[in-house]
Amino acid sequence: MSASAAGLRRTAASVHLSTRRKAKDRAFTIFLWACGVLAMLPLLFITGYVMAKGLSALNIDFFTKEPAAPGQSGGGIVQSFIGTGLIVGMAVLFSVPLGLLAGVYLSEYGNGKLASVVRFVAEILLSTPSIVAGAFIWAVVVVALGSFSAFAGAIALTVIMWPIIARATEEILRLVSEDLREGALALGLPRWKVILRVVIPTAGAGVFTAIMLAVARGLGETAPILLTALGNDFINVHPSQPTDALPLRIYEYARTPVASQHAIGWGGALMLLLGVLLLSITARVLSNRQQRRTR
Amino acid sequence: MARSRLGDRTFRGVSALAAVGLLGLLGLMLWVLASGGSRAFAKFGFGFLTGRNWNPVFGREQFGALPFIFGTLVTSAVALALAVPVAVGLAILLNEVHSGWLRDPLAVFVDLLAAIPSVVYGLWGLYVMKPLFDHRVEPFLTKTVGKVPVIGALFRGNPNGGDLFTAGVILAIMILPIITAVTREVVAVVPRDLREAAKALGATRYETVRYAVLPYARSGIVGASILGLGRALGETIAVSLVVGNGLGIGASLFRPGFTIPAVIASEFREATNIGVHRSALLALAVVLVAIALVMAALSRLFIRRSAKLISGGPPAGERERPAIQVAR
Amino acid sequence: MIKGKRLVRLGAVALAVSVLSAACSKSGSGSGGGSFQGVALTGAGATFPQPIYKQWLIDFQKVEPSAKVNYQAIGSGGGVTQFTQQTVDFGASDAPLKSAEQAALPGGASSALEIPTVLGGVVIAYNVQGLQTGLKLDGTTAADIFLGKVKTWNDPEIQALNSDATLPPTAIQIVHRSDESGTTKVFTSWLSKESPTWSSQVGADKSVQWPVGVGGDGNDGVAAGISQTDGAVGYLSYDFAVTSNLGVAQIKRDSDGQFVAPSVDSISVAGGILQFPISETTNILNSSATGAYPISTTTYLLVYKDQKNKEKGQTLVDFLYWALTKGQDEVKTLHYSPLPSTIQQQALPLLSQITSGGQPLTPSSTVKS
Repeated sequence: MSASAAGLRRTAASVHLSTRRKAKDRAFTIFLWACGVLAMLPLLFITGYVMAKGLSALNIDFFTKEPAAPGQSGGGIVQSFIGTGLIVGMAVLFSVPLGLLAGVYLSEYGNGKLASVVRFVAEILLSTPSIVAGAFIWAVVVVALGSFSAFAGAIALTVIMWPIIARATEEILRLVSEDLREGALALGLPRWKVILRVVIPTAGAGVFTAIMLAVARGLGETAPILLTALGNDFINVHPSQPTDALPLRIYEYARTPVASQHAIGWGGALMLLLGVLLLSITARVLSNRQQRRTR
Repeated sequence: MARSRLGDRTFRGVSALAAVGLLGLLGLMLWVLASGGSRAFAKFGFGFLTGRNWNPVFGREQFGALPFIFGTLVTSAVALALAVPVAVGLAILLNEVHSGWLRDPLAVFVDLLAAIPSVVYGLWGLYVMKPLFDHRVEPFLTKTVGKVPVIGALFRGNPNGGDLFTAGVILAIMILPIITAVTREVVAVVPRDLREAAKALGATRYETVRYAVLPYARSGIVGASILGLGRALGETIAVSLVVGNGLGIGASLFRPGFTIPAVIASEFREATNIGVHRSALLALAVVLVAIALVMAALSRLFIRRSAKLISGGPPAGERERPAIQVAR
Repeated sequence: MIKGKRLVRLGAVALAVSVLSAACSKSGSGSGGGSFQGVALTGAGATFPQPIYKQWLIDFQKVEPSAKVNYQAIGSGGGVTQFTQQTVDFGASDAPLKSAEQAALPGGASSALEIPTVLGGVVIAYNVQGLQTGLKLDGTTAADIFLGKVKTWNDPEIQALNSDATLPPTAIQIVHRSDESGTTKVFTSWLSKESPTWSSQVGADKSVQWPVGVGGDGNDGVAAGISQTDGAVGYLSYDFAVTSNLGVAQIKRDSDGQFVAPSVDSISVAGGILQFPISETTNILNSSATGAYPISTTTYLLVYKDQKNKEKGQTLVDFLYWALTKGQDEVKTLHYSPLPSTIQQQALPLLSQITSGGQPLTPSSTVKS
């Protein structure tokens, strides 16, 4: 503490730093640091454990073979990786255009009542548990098509990702300075070109970041896939057939009594965790870089 | 000119469609779920929400959702009780304590906690946390807090197997990031002048926070907690793996319980339509949407109120959350 | 220049379309000449036979290489539901269809076949210090225990059946299933037969309201629950109990008063009383066959008689034929019980009822060799 501050203290009216106040302050600081430690522990513990248990399950078979019979060793979950790619890939195809356009509307044209209602509805959808999306899509798509399918799983994920991308896009586009828009308009560009050619590219990395985070979310979702894609022990690339997915396979293997399947489950959890963390970290790095650029 | 007007109109129309599509999506979802759930509501009326029996046996069907409502509330309450103090402490730590070397990594860590998929939490919870709680934590709590009158009733009971307490703790870890992130925003916006004035008066860090920061952030912290609550209420997979799948209602946290999302995940594929089992589950899904609606409205209310208190108006563009926070 | 670009674009589109259509066309059976290769199928249902079904499907694929049969164990209830909803090609259920479920089938009652595949049993497993092996129980006592009427192990009712054992005064802790399960249905059906009190108070189904006890998820949840508490007792499927370290009770037969321990053979023998046609009350509980274990059950595969897709139907017929013949040789290694030959001989003709487009489907040469 500097001499002047200390001096201020001493000269302040009836205030003196009693031991009681000091003690409270110290206790408070300890509490704050304890919270920090408490918050770090789970992440370290979980990632450490998943890594330790999961690494031993990773081998060539794990990535290239389909499951062996229960009780037999060997085999892998190649179909889960392919299935996740298929389902999430399709979900991205559906939800990114829908989300981007909705976000654009809310940001660029969204000053009226309609937009406020849409925003509120988007937040309701955001807060709705993903199992509800699963039940909804089962009733509509699975029953109508007569089959569990990767397509149904993708639609269920779209229901979840669409509002996320929409709201995030809106936030990011709003950060683009109004001057930029007005300047482009003053140059004679039509509104739609201003949005497409000026606003969105400027927000570029931010939009990409939002999409990455939505994808990270979609990758990890189990509940909607549980009710719509059923799962599959074989590789499937047909959108209309039941398909496996990594989170689904982990969930099923977590509940069986077979030890070899537990081990594979940990391996799957490790891969899923790595994928999701990679996406999140990349998104964060990109977002920081973008923020630094627009400062 | 006419051409660009057409382009403008088309573009605006198409993007409006994508936005309004969200309204259609919610509407369709509610319609499908409500029409599916109508048979259960018709059969049991209000008793669906207050009934304590859940019996899917055909011929003896009873569908009362109270055990699930109870379990959902209890696990969320435990989660909030554990997560909010830690989140507030963490937010203050990240804002007020200026050791740069730890602050940024810590902030990153907490955000990454939010990214961990539910199924990974569930797997870890089932094979690491649950045995630990069954064999060490819960017996310890029974021996200590369990002896205290009144509160002790919460911590007495058979520690074996999944229970509401274990589920509550996992939920606490899962909702910590979002409560922290929003609280950080809220605390950061409190004007510097207030803090500096307090420091000038000789206040300690504790006193500054307590008298100059928290009063203004209170609404926002409530809003952050509501966001966390919303997440806790809807969490499905991790909870279903550790909650014990029990239907009892009672004082002990150590009894197996069930939550609304967990029972839907657990029973949906098996629910037949010859009775009203499936209808009952769809009705529960409608309840979840209703809860989401209330949560969304509440959190809007509180965060907007907090913003008003501090800056005299909501921030431009209705920003209620950090831009890149993808809330679940 | 522009023409060249357009050509390239057209070519790219044509290529994309052909690739997409090739990818989207369903994998068909080997065409022209040679044996039937099978097609991909989806089935869902009971968890009890999952290990043997998965083994069967792997081995069946060696016979018909294109028959990738995806079986997902979502529970007997799920098997019936999804089968009724026609979201899967076949279902699997430990319990026969109820009359209401029959009526709900598209095509009405009797539009589907229930084909028994393997036999299993439900055992009463326990963990009681001081009582390692040889606990003897009968239906009435078991019902009283699970009703909560008998509260300690040294209760006179249990002592009466175990006069040569010293029973400790430990409290009895019940462990039951918390999820829907065919095992629960079999066990509660047996208790309902043995105890009128149980029948009226609790009843029998895949999931019931247990008067006392804690729930475990799946067989392993129950096994874990039993092993964690001294004095605990619960019920498990036989194939699972064999690999756990829990005590297994011998059950008294109603027909001759003998106590029988569950084993692959005592369960197999019980199958001898299976009556065709399968109805909602069909069961092999309390089988009168000599040496039969009382709490035995069969499990069924559900298939529609009228198969809309000929290749899928053919694959199903082939698989069922194979399962009822060659497949039976594999079941013992996984602790399941094969169908007695009398039952096998009655099940095989059921397959002739499966038709497609009006024509009956007969097992192909690949499985008949």
